[in-house]
Amino acid sequence: MGDSQYSFSLTTFSPSGKLVQIEHALTAVGSGQTSLGIKASNGVVIATEKKLPSILVDEASVQKIQILTPNIGVVYSGMGPDSRVLVRKSRKQAEQYHRLYKEPIPVTQLVRETAAVMQEFTQSGGVRPFGVSLLVAGYDDKGPQLYQVDPSGSYFSWKASAMGKNVSNAKTFLEKRYTDDMELDDAVHTAILTLKEGFEGQISGKNIEIGIISADKKFRVLTPSEIEDYLQEVE
Amino acid sequence: MTKEAIDMPQKGGFSFDLCKRNDMLLQNGLKMPSFLKTGTTIVGLIFQDGVILGADTRATEGPIVADKNCEKIHYIAPNIYCCGAGTAADTEAVTDMISSQLTLHRYHTGRESRVVTALSLLKSHLFNYQGHVSAALVLGGVDVTGPHLHTIYPHGSTDTLPYATMGSGSLAAMAIFESKYREGLSREEGVALVAEAIRSGIFNDLGSGSNVDICVITKGQKEYLRNHMTPNPRTYVSEKGYSFSKKTELLSTKITPLRETVVVIEGGDAMEE
Repeated sequence: MGDSQYSFSLTTFSPSGKLVQIEHALTAVGSGQTSLGIKASNGVVIATEKKLPSILVDEASVQKIQILTPNIGVVYSGMGPDSRVLVRKSRKQAEQYHRLYKEPIPVTQLVRETAAVMQEFTQSGGVRPFGVSLLVAGYDDKGPQLYQVDPSGSYFSWKASAMGKNVSNAKTFLEKRYTDDMELDDAVHTAILTLKEGFEGQISGKNIEIGIISADKKFRVLTPSEIEDYLQEVE
Repeated sequence: MTKEAIDMPQKGGFSFDLCKRNDMLLQNGLKMPSFLKTGTTIVGLIFQDGVILGADTRATEGPIVADKNCEKIHYIAPNIYCCGAGTAADTEAVTDMISSQLTLHRYHTGRESRVVTALSLLKSHLFNYQGHVSAALVLGGVDVTGPHLHTIYPHGSTDTLPYATMGSGSLAAMAIFESKYREGLSREEGVALVAEAIRSGIFNDLGSGSNVDICVITKGQKEYLRNHMTPNPRTYVSEKGYSFSKKTELLSTKITPLRETVVVIEGGDAMEE
């Protein structure tokens, strides 16, 4: 694909054994807005800042947390348009799996296929790696699960993770606060407090987004008023 | 006709070039292939609150009943269902495919699917295959624009109707609809009319039989009444029981139920690797 002059892979090894383009992609992720996820005993919560470039932007039309299947949702840090491509591909793959096997796709399978797409773009001609890291939250037969997928295509299962600008502070905060027997409501409170740590300005239901999935296996994004209720509980 | 040096290009329309050859073949004894009848009665009608779809449950393989209780009402979307007549594999595969495409469309748009979307996807697929996908469908649903009912033919043509019937039992069912349908039927009247139409197909058409399936779709709600009516029950055992002939001496009686109850053990050991 593309011009013959650019049909070689732009992701070539450096003498130190690193793929510099992927390192740069991770930097792009690191300068994106903070997002985090926490796996509770009975569900998963993912959250992100929703800082818009100007007050004139219609914030109700922007949705960073997306649903992939009825029981799997995703949030990103990094370049929004890149995440849209991945969301579209993942939804299609989940649907194809369902058509073939007549069962809802397990979270691990969907993560694996999404990661495979991201890896493809680090080894193909004339393309660049995706400038996003994804946090995939799902609930299937194996219980609640949280996965992080990086631009290189590597993925890990996390109990709690953060990405983006404030990643080191957020991760330290999560390490202190996380407990294995945490319930979903506690997890939402912890998520809000973690976001609050590095938040510039006044936090409200309109400038953060929270998505949860509980034992009912239905992923949903909380409405701004529901977020306000949680914020009041945290105060 | 003047003879032209250059060949004129085809202007479209039917080409009569092969008619002479076909006549010659028929005269020489060639048997033209006959059309396969679709053994089904499927119906749909619009009532005051939405759409009611109905179907029989007999699947035939020539003169043999292959499935006495198959499902002919297929899911397309939470608010759209489709009855299928014709080759069972074709109707199932095509409705499954369009259902999948509509799920993706719903994720991308964030909106409820519309019946005309399903209609367009189905008819363009069937047209592309020029009638070789043998699926005759009755598509019905309720969306933001209201209740809709359509019929789709294997070649890709569609009709939009207030009441419709398809399949080999369609004439029997249509006779019922034509005499008893009116606008603004209530739910009970609609279900009764659909059941009557399907029963008419079941009893008067060889290709249709067994039970009546009904699906009622209204705004925001759907009711799938599987085996709503079973007018053809099967009697397995004679009520009189089995009696031995007078010369046989009954020594002992042991009754074994045909269906064993499965005991589920909670927290049992996993199967060995």
